[in-house]
Amino acid sequence: MHPLERLVNLVALLLESRLPLTFEQIRSKLTEGYGHGDLASAKRMFERDKDVLRDIGVPIEVVATDAWEVEQGYAIDKERYYLPEIAFTPEEVSALFVAVRSGGDVSAEDAVRKLLSGAEGGILASFGGSGLAGGPDPHLRQAAEAVAGQQQVRFEYRTSRGERSERQVDAFGLAVRAGHWYLVGSDRDRGEIRSFRLSRISGGMTIRGEGSAPPEGFRAADHVQAGPWGPGEPESEATVAFSADVAWWATGGIPGSEVVSTRPDGWVEIRVPAQPGQSLAPWVLSFGPDAEAVDPPELRAEVIERLEAIVGS
Amino acid sequence: MAPEPVRRGTAARRTPPKAAERLRRLLVVVPYLVRHPGTGVSEAAGLFGTSEANLLADLDLLFVSGLPPYGPGDLIDVDIRDGRIWIGMADYFARPLRLTRSEALAIYVRATALAGVPGLKEAPALSSALAKLAEGLGTDALGELPERVEAAAGRSVETLGTLRDAAAAHERLRIHYYAASGAEATERAIDPEEVFFAIGNWYVTAWDHRSGQERLFRADRIRSAVATGERFEPRGLQGAGRPLYTPGRDDVPVTLRLGPDARWVAEYYETVRETELDGGELEIELSAGRLEWLERLLLRLGTNVQVVAPAELKDRVRELAGRTRKRYG
Repeated sequence: MHPLERLVNLVALLLESRLPLTFEQIRSKLTEGYGHGDLASAKRMFERDKDVLRDIGVPIEVVATDAWEVEQGYAIDKERYYLPEIAFTPEEVSALFVAVRSGGDVSAEDAVRKLLSGAEGGILASFGGSGLAGGPDPHLRQAAEAVAGQQQVRFEYRTSRGERSERQVDAFGLAVRAGHWYLVGSDRDRGEIRSFRLSRISGGMTIRGEGSAPPEGFRAADHVQAGPWGPGEPESEATVAFSADVAWWATGGIPGSEVVSTRPDGWVEIRVPAQPGQSLAPWVLSFGPDAEAVDPPELRAEVIERLEAIVGS
Repeated sequence: MAPEPVRRGTAARRTPPKAAERLRRLLVVVPYLVRHPGTGVSEAAGLFGTSEANLLADLDLLFVSGLPPYGPGDLIDVDIRDGRIWIGMADYFARPLRLTRSEALAIYVRATALAGVPGLKEAPALSSALAKLAEGLGTDALGELPERVEAAAGRSVETLGTLRDAAAAHERLRIHYYAASGAEATERAIDPEEVFFAIGNWYVTAWDHRSGQERLFRADRIRSAVATGERFEPRGLQGAGRPLYTPGRDDVPVTLRLGPDARWVAEYYETVRETELDGGELEIELSAGRLEWLERLLLRLGTNVQVVAPAELKDRVRELAGRTRKRYG
């Protein structure tokens, strides 16, 4: 008998049985599968099959079949086996396919296929085709597990400035910004909420056990906000003029920026959020001669100073 | 009922992995076919990511399977006629195997990420799918995750819809593009093949008629995109997963020494070599065709970076700084 046929029959048998079945009972019903040879080798084959089923997520349980717990029986918990009924529209399933393909995650693609049977027809017609992004994120699954289970994790982290240290973090949430995933949580050694870019975690992430609950009103995205002004919420503003070539895209990714005026020569003055103590000068300079710091005067002075340092170097 | 501890690894080692893989697929395909009678063989193969031959081989084994005593009335009924499939006598397989916790979490985080991308036509469908997943799967599968995963606001790209439609329909576009490599506004015709998202930006892989070469364009730097009405034959250009920069024949090697505040450059750009130096500096080598983008990057980094090579680059940055300084009177 083909191993696949034996496995299908075993799943069908256990799903249809009201009571747990002992191995002897399974053997007597599935004679083609486990009836040949001696008992010991048949039992070994059954054990291997059971492992295969568990590996693919079939919840096989072992229970005592008599009050003295001498005999053991096998059962599939139907509640845990069957996917709950969720009626998706074809658009929703297609969108989920696009999403998991975007993560380059083949096993997640198979997972979405489980959701197909609950959807109405016509899926292929609206099928989005290829994914929209490349590359899986290492640590994302592990971090999601930690957040889902409200656990504490330990990992080695390298800051953007290249400093390495060991962190112990109560996982509060996950946020994605500009294509990067961040784990947000309470840094146990520093006693405050910090965000950690997953791509800067080296080695593995170990789950250490139970963590703690985030504070009331916690939102992961609040802790990864950033802009040209640096991290955090901007509290002041600055005005920068841009040439016509760059003005239309220069502030596209900056929420809260607005056009003040367009000069006759095509240059556009734009007001952008800023943060006292965090300099916008490097960002302004990244546009070269296509940008000019207009206001505040300190920003203007800093840009000039930086330019003169380069000219005189 | 207490689940027995799982003995990992033994299964993969002793049973042909193919049987496990095929069973995993069958437990998902069969419920779909039970509930969608008369589905086409090719449609089913496409939906479940397998070949028609593989699917038919699996179904071949299925109709000798069933329940004891495995008489004609106990076996699963598989009927394949005129390229369509009907499955009966398999009520116990009418619903698929549930998602494992790991699968549920993976789908949830990926969908959250994509739902947060502004201007995406799938975003409303993703949001409603996420709500259904959270409700249908519950805390058993997702734990605390649904309340605690979020996408921060991103940059919206107005041409995104046009680009994706043109790529799907193989339609040539005329675009106005700001090319950062040369720091210049350009106009050109492109044959867009694939639109994808990487490190926070949308890109389109296309054949560029201006240079007569394959090029990668950043979608948020495309000021306008107009369909020309002409069709093109796709050349099979790679999209998602490709390197964001492919060195050209005329590229020059550039060596920079990055101070702590400039180390992000090594994370952001494709480097050929990275060497940690004593004193906390990082020396990187990258390959560059045009130098204009590098001049601006160096202007931004100021004294946090040192140019090791080429010597010419240092002079060009100094010249650019002087030109920029003039704007300030």
